[in-house]
Amino acid sequence: MADRMVFEDRNQFLEALRRLVREGLPGERIRVITPFGVPEAEEILSRGRSNVRFFALVGAASGTATGFAFTILTSLSWPLIVGGKPIVSIPPFIIIAFALTILFGALSTFAGFLLLSRLPSLRGIRSGEEVGNAFVILIEDGGRR
Amino acid sequence: MTGLLERKGGLTVLIAVAGALMAFVSLTPAPGRGGSLLLAFLFFVAVVEGCIAAAAAGATVNARWVGSVRKELLSVTPLLLLAAFLLLLLIPFVDSYPWAGSPGTWLRKDFFIGRNLAFLLLAYVTARRFAAAPADGEGTKSRAAWYLLVFVTSQSLAAFDLVMSLEYPWISALLGGYFFIEALYGGFAVSAILYLLLHGSPPADRAPESRSDLSDLSILMFGFSLMWAGLFFAQFLTIWYGNLPEEVGFIARRLSASPLRELCVAVLFLLFFIPFPALLSTRAKSNPYVVSAVAVSILSGILVERYVFLAPVVRFSPVALAIDFALLLLLFLAVVYKGSRGISPRG
Amino acid sequence: MENAEKYAKVDRDILAAMEKPGRLYLAGLAVAAALTVIGGILWAYQIRSGLGVAGYTHPVNWAIYITNFVFWVGIAHSGTLISAVLFLFRARYRTSFNRAAEAMTVFALMVAGMFPLIHLGRSWVFYYLIPYPTQRQLWVNFRSPLIWDVFAVGTYFTVSVVFFYVGMLPDFAVARRLKEGIRKKIYTVLSLGWKGTDREWRHYGMLYLFLAAFATPLVASVHSVVSWDFAMSIVPGWHTTLFAPYFVAGAIFSGTAMVITLVIPLRKAMHLHEYITDDHFESIAKILLFTSLIVSYAYIVEFGMASYGENIFEMEAFRYRALGEFRYLTWAMIFCNSLVPLTLFAKRLRRNTAYLLVVSLLVNVGMWLERFVIIVTSLAHDFDPYVWGTYRPTYVEVGISLGSFGLFFMLYLLFVKNLPVLSITEIKEHL
Repeated sequence: MADRMVFEDRNQFLEALRRLVREGLPGERIRVITPFGVPEAEEILSRGRSNVRFFALVGAASGTATGFAFTILTSLSWPLIVGGKPIVSIPPFIIIAFALTILFGALSTFAGFLLLSRLPSLRGIRSGEEVGNAFVILIEDGGRR
Repeated sequence: MTGLLERKGGLTVLIAVAGALMAFVSLTPAPGRGGSLLLAFLFFVAVVEGCIAAAAAGATVNARWVGSVRKELLSVTPLLLLAAFLLLLLIPFVDSYPWAGSPGTWLRKDFFIGRNLAFLLLAYVTARRFAAAPADGEGTKSRAAWYLLVFVTSQSLAAFDLVMSLEYPWISALLGGYFFIEALYGGFAVSAILYLLLHGSPPADRAPESRSDLSDLSILMFGFSLMWAGLFFAQFLTIWYGNLPEEVGFIARRLSASPLRELCVAVLFLLFFIPFPALLSTRAKSNPYVVSAVAVSILSGILVERYVFLAPVVRFSPVALAIDFALLLLLFLAVVYKGSRGISPRG
Repeated sequence: MENAEKYAKVDRDILAAMEKPGRLYLAGLAVAAALTVIGGILWAYQIRSGLGVAGYTHPVNWAIYITNFVFWVGIAHSGTLISAVLFLFRARYRTSFNRAAEAMTVFALMVAGMFPLIHLGRSWVFYYLIPYPTQRQLWVNFRSPLIWDVFAVGTYFTVSVVFFYVGMLPDFAVARRLKEGIRKKIYTVLSLGWKGTDREWRHYGMLYLFLAAFATPLVASVHSVVSWDFAMSIVPGWHTTLFAPYFVAGAIFSGTAMVITLVIPLRKAMHLHEYITDDHFESIAKILLFTSLIVSYAYIVEFGMASYGENIFEMEAFRYRALGEFRYLTWAMIFCNSLVPLTLFAKRLRRNTAYLLVVSLLVNVGMWLERFVIIVTSLAHDFDPYVWGTYRPTYVEVGISLGSFGLFFMLYLLFVKNLPVLSITEIKEHL
């Protein structure tokens, strides 16, 4: 049975949250819903930094690697001397690699966000329940006050 | 020596003595004296003007970190007068420029020295006015803006006149911008070092991701490392791609042989490939060891780069270079020390 | 209790802008749509009859279409500057502009992307530019600046769309709550079922930070790549190392002017004075002034370099720009870009939105002229006097250019009525 506390005021919400954590309620059982990101709540619940950043790093690194690999391998696959430039001409290839670094980095960060936040959430789309601008604390799995 | 500094006029004496020594060294008719002075001059004027510019730029955008190092950064202002004097010492050296034999309207000795001198003096005047204004006063921002305009012009002239015309008729329209961005980059590096010297590292109990003045400075150095790399690449790519003989010679002379080739690679590392990855993580941005190492790397990079710009066309005398450099470094430390003590309480 | 009312008021005020349109709006939309349709018809005519109906003649083979391409890509940059770069600098005044600016970026890129296709003439062979495995095992020439454009502008468009959408995600949740009917369903789907749990906000915060961090280097790099379309050639007036930062500063300059042009009427029409204040406009005006100074610096250096050395071709190219056939355009460009913005040193003028609107319109004109002057004068008058020529745009080119403006404003007007025009969530956060 989930418990539910609704606050209209942000400071009251934070006070209640601090109280719950002080009383020893484990953080995994507390979920909060807020109209905007509240960094203080994140600190109180001490969830740690989001892992989305690893997606960003992996995406960007793969973008750089792909950019260089793609340009170099395709240039070598049919070697044509164009404009008197060497077959494997690094300066222009840097530009392509730079663009792909950002592209893959951004897309993979977005994908990581969707994955980690479990979005799109079909339940959220279908349920239609709204909390509006309230700050809500949900306690799950038979929690006590 | 600190006693000398704390006496009234002690600093002036020190600067005068150093100036006289440098005059003696550079005016002695021996090869490489003028060139060594030029290198030392270029580096120090960039750093000095850059320090003041960093403070001025911070003032125009109400940056928070400026408050911690403002008076130290602005204490280097008197060195601009010394720089003007050094420019006069370079007058005999100007005869060795490739255009000296056939001067035109822009490139003639009197106008050449005159305009650079004028803007150095103007930089001094505007810097003093900016330094005299209170940190958050009414007209401070506009005084800072005036200094910045003069700074941009002064550094651009140093680039186009003192460096680019050594390779006459080679032109690169970007060189002026390149120099003043580098000067600002160096200014932030010096600000970081000053901050660490004066205020130590941020308290250990501070949350690792929270902002501090040090991390603000690190962000600036990080961003400028990217900007520098972008400008470097823009210049290099345009010259490489066009492959025009009159342009490519500049790069070819610096990339074709050791040791200049290795020094060029070193410059790339010192100014980008070290600062960028080192300052990438949030934790590193507040780490005093990382930040000071990066700042030193940046300043060394600027010095080596100025050397690489001048090396194929200018003769150096290692002794003169060492003396000039040491004297200027000493003066820099002296003014900053005096500046940091000047307004703080006795004791 | 007070806060809840404030939040609800923000929701209501901003979503109120998305209500039934008035007559002025419909008239504007009709004009924009009409221009778009005319532009489309003229493009179809050009595809049918060939590129000869445009004014291209030897030696000017890049003209108005490429001018428009560079112009619209430039406009897009300011949006990313305001939303991504100012986010990283934690500039508070950003929240009043960033949604409008991001929308401007996305739509400007859409319009810009059409121009290389229009300029091709045989638009259907655009696929030559895309690196896909062909049966002839031939790949694109990665050493060509035109291919760099494909990657840079393509990346920029994708990242901008993602950034725009991600920024609106929590606002879609607000919109789905307060709207009815078919719109409610659409916003519900677009919001992906967003609830606002701490898990969602935590990951969202990091996503937004990383997107801003990824988008920031794009501001400098994309327009540098576009400038290298010109700088990689050896044409006098084009081949100069300064082009990359010059074009980037110019892009931010013209984009900021377009933001001002769009947001001043927007604020008035939608009564958003509480959220977009004169202080905000003053900050934006300072960006305009700063980038104008950089552009002026570039003009001075370029003309200086041309007169400096022994390159007679460069000297002649700039003499032609200043005193040749297109001199009035050059002088107008200098007036609009360098002289008029100097008046913004006066604080009183920075805070006068009517004056800012006039200045921004002049800057838009001046920056368009700058691209035109750079492209056409350098091509018309390059190395060999025997091939010197001239250029006159035809009605087809002018019509398509006007059509592009129509398309942009049409998309923008549609955005204003269907998507939240300010970032509701960010405003509530900073209340």
